[in-house]
Amino acid sequence: MKILQVKKKRKLLGAVLPAVGFCVVFAAATVMAATPIKHLIAPDSAADCYECHKKATPKIAQNWYESKHGVVLMKCFVCHGQPDGKGSVPWAVVPSPKKVCRKCHDPAMKRMEEKFGLKGDCYTCHPFHQNSIHHDAYKKSVTKKQ
Amino acid sequence: MKLTRREVLKCAAASSALMAVGGNLSSVMAADDGEPDKWVKAVCRFCGTGCGVMIGVKNGKVVTVKGDPNNHNQGFLCLKGALMPPIVYAKERVTRPYIRKDGQLVPATWDEAMDLVVSKFKKAIKEHGPTSVAYYGSGQALTEESYLANKIWKAGLRCNNVEGNPRLCMASAVGGYYTSFGKDEPCGCYEDIDAATCFFIIGSNMSECHPILFKRVAARKQADPNVKVIVVDPRKTNTARIADEHVSFKPGTDLAILNAMAYVIIQEELDNPRFYNKYVNFMTNGKKKADFKTYMKFLEDYTPEKAEKISGVPADQIRRIAKMFAESSATMSFWTMGLNQRIRGVWANNLVTNLHLLTGHIGKPGACNFSLTGQPNACGGVRDTGSLCHLLPAGRMIKKPEHRAQLEKQWGLKPGTIAPKPGLHTIALWNAFSEGKIKAMYVLCTNPAHSLPNVNMYTEGMERKDNFMVLSEPFMDAETVKYCDVLLPPAFWCEKRGVYGCSERRYSLLMQAVEPMGECRSDVEILLDFAKRMGVDPKVIPFKNVDDVWDEWREVSSITPYNFKGMTRERQEKESGILWPCPTEDHPGTKRRYVRGEDPNIPKDYKNKYWFYGYPDGKAKLWMRPYAPAAEEPDAKYPMVLTTGRVIDHWHTGTMTMKVPELRRSFPRAYVEVNIEDAKKHGIKNGDNVLLETRRDKMVFPAKVSDVCRPGLVFVPWYDKDLMINKLTLNAFDKGSKQPEYKICAVRIKKA
Repeated sequence: MKILQVKKKRKLLGAVLPAVGFCVVFAAATVMAATPIKHLIAPDSAADCYECHKKATPKIAQNWYESKHGVVLMKCFVCHGQPDGKGSVPWAVVPSPKKVCRKCHDPAMKRMEEKFGLKGDCYTCHPFHQNSIHHDAYKKSVTKKQ
Repeated sequence: MKLTRREVLKCAAASSALMAVGGNLSSVMAADDGEPDKWVKAVCRFCGTGCGVMIGVKNGKVVTVKGDPNNHNQGFLCLKGALMPPIVYAKERVTRPYIRKDGQLVPATWDEAMDLVVSKFKKAIKEHGPTSVAYYGSGQALTEESYLANKIWKAGLRCNNVEGNPRLCMASAVGGYYTSFGKDEPCGCYEDIDAATCFFIIGSNMSECHPILFKRVAARKQADPNVKVIVVDPRKTNTARIADEHVSFKPGTDLAILNAMAYVIIQEELDNPRFYNKYVNFMTNGKKKADFKTYMKFLEDYTPEKAEKISGVPADQIRRIAKMFAESSATMSFWTMGLNQRIRGVWANNLVTNLHLLTGHIGKPGACNFSLTGQPNACGGVRDTGSLCHLLPAGRMIKKPEHRAQLEKQWGLKPGTIAPKPGLHTIALWNAFSEGKIKAMYVLCTNPAHSLPNVNMYTEGMERKDNFMVLSEPFMDAETVKYCDVLLPPAFWCEKRGVYGCSERRYSLLMQAVEPMGECRSDVEILLDFAKRMGVDPKVIPFKNVDDVWDEWREVSSITPYNFKGMTRERQEKESGILWPCPTEDHPGTKRRYVRGEDPNIPKDYKNKYWFYGYPDGKAKLWMRPYAPAAEEPDAKYPMVLTTGRVIDHWHTGTMTMKVPELRRSFPRAYVEVNIEDAKKHGIKNGDNVLLETRRDKMVFPAKVSDVCRPGLVFVPWYDKDLMINKLTLNAFDKGSKQPEYKICAVRIKKA
């Protein structure tokens, strides 16, 4: 019985640690969302994110390029806005599901709400760069494989 | 206790949300405020895909949009569609009428503006007859607006000078469908994409010009990698990313490639004689009925090897794509301006249809020859209502006395009211305006001073003092505003009510979401006022509002194969688009025309499965169209080819997309796309200024060096009013469709 409890604790710890890690990242993202970030000033091509980010953050840029969003040219600014906050979409590292994702994925969001009670909670099951929005469009996402 | 990955992540999300509440303002939490008071059903303002949108309104203002889940787009929007709200409240909105005085536009009242307009039109008609006035409309106007203007001019003013910008984009497709089937508009529907096993995309950059349809094609390919995609385009665009075969060819030689594909299909015994023997007539280019043997003889000039010499496409690749096209269980073709904006646009359309008639890839789920429209209401608004100089509503022609008589009866006109001579087509019309022969022009919802080819010719004409132009335009910075004599402020997209009909014959109602800005009025209201002031018989124009216009148009369609009498306003308010024909209120709409059991124009007990009822013998026509070069081929003086087109971020002349900060900053100015080899030859590096010179004009563009264009070809997008490429393009046009050849002209380039 004791051993079982220890195992339970270990499992819980195993679950909570990555959760805390995730929180830190998530919280950092939310802080970044509230204030404009340090970003190269490029008024003539401020929304041509891919052009610079394929050099600056090649992995993320490539992930987008190969994703479903990349194939159909759903560009970064549609979800993330503009880093200087001068876009029509609010600047956010983590876009608001209710304001952004919903524009196209409202039916899916409603289905998820009905099925799992997940209200505007996309990232719980579709973490960035691990689903077909941000990875290879022609392979099944981690979520779907499960 | 076992925690699943999902539970762990939920726990993490909940913790972070708590942390956010504790101090940091979470964008996620904050963003959840501002829920719209209501969602209003409409259609996207941009391309001919015609995606359903729900407009989010809060405190009487448009605050957001989302895709309509019940329309064909299933809730999805492209990047332009998702970013529409800022356009409505742009500072450049025209919110009151203006009159030009001493060269300047000065504010005026509605009465002053309309009185001036009417006095100019009346004077022109009195002094020079009804053919001295004209209407130039748009594939972006609502169906009711186009129908009403068409009726005011053709029945009220007895003037057939009714044209519109669809002449510049869709006329060759209309000509193609008419000559092949005797009726305009595609026979299939978007749903065919989900059943097709081969896509033949020619002369279309679907990915940037019709993104949501491209998404559907890409999703089909993602779901089944065995689905084949062929992209035929001298540019290697984003559309080619999903292609199994990208066919790059010498611009203008696609007619030879299409004939060569037909040759291979027959040689490989992949044709479908059971289909074409029963349902197809073979026609020579001289309009004479011929037989299969004559067709085979005609095709001998287009063996893959001969086509290779003309087009530069390897014979083996032509064989491969022909086999792909024919061997698939259901092939769907898409094309747009690459075929239409050509002096052989109608022929190119016919040659794509030939492949479908030869293989029987038509009238079955996934098998269709589908022309994509560029504007949201070119099909429903202009083509179907017959708002062009040679047409009458619902597929009827001015030159046919029986069609005029039929419509006169429907409209309650005296026999002979409709003038028997077609009016002037777009290029002829603007030529006549430039020469001062057209004295008064009403331009609605389009920007001809930017969009006409060889545009310098026409803007010079617009500057004349002896002609008059009234313009209904929502944005003050549109190029044509510089030249108009009276500027009227129309209600914009979400501020009015009416129908858009997209590429697949789907009519959807746009419901009014917000009140018009300032003194803006809907174009239906403005046109009704115009007709009244012009003294048009109130029995001819008896409408009180937009719904009255729709009800008459429904009735007018009901004796034709277009028949959409069943699309009542009540039904349109509930449903997100219905495909015509739709004869009764309980009819679900028609996915595939010419097919027994689907098309309500065909009796259920009709002897054959297909009936191409556009022609008396019920057969479609397969045309023997030869290869012919472009109007202005490259030569020693101008050795390269210039082509124009869109980028995904901008639409048409940019008057709307330039109002969205993200879109404006994504592509702030036009550029010239140059192939790497050509760039090396001319010492051009990425970002260098490059001088482009044609026989019309010259202009400097920054260079984008890439492998998108094939060597010898340069591309410039046409949205930028400061770098207006239409000053360089050619106004030669197709003799059949009268559509200009924007896509090919000779150019020389050098580093500036």
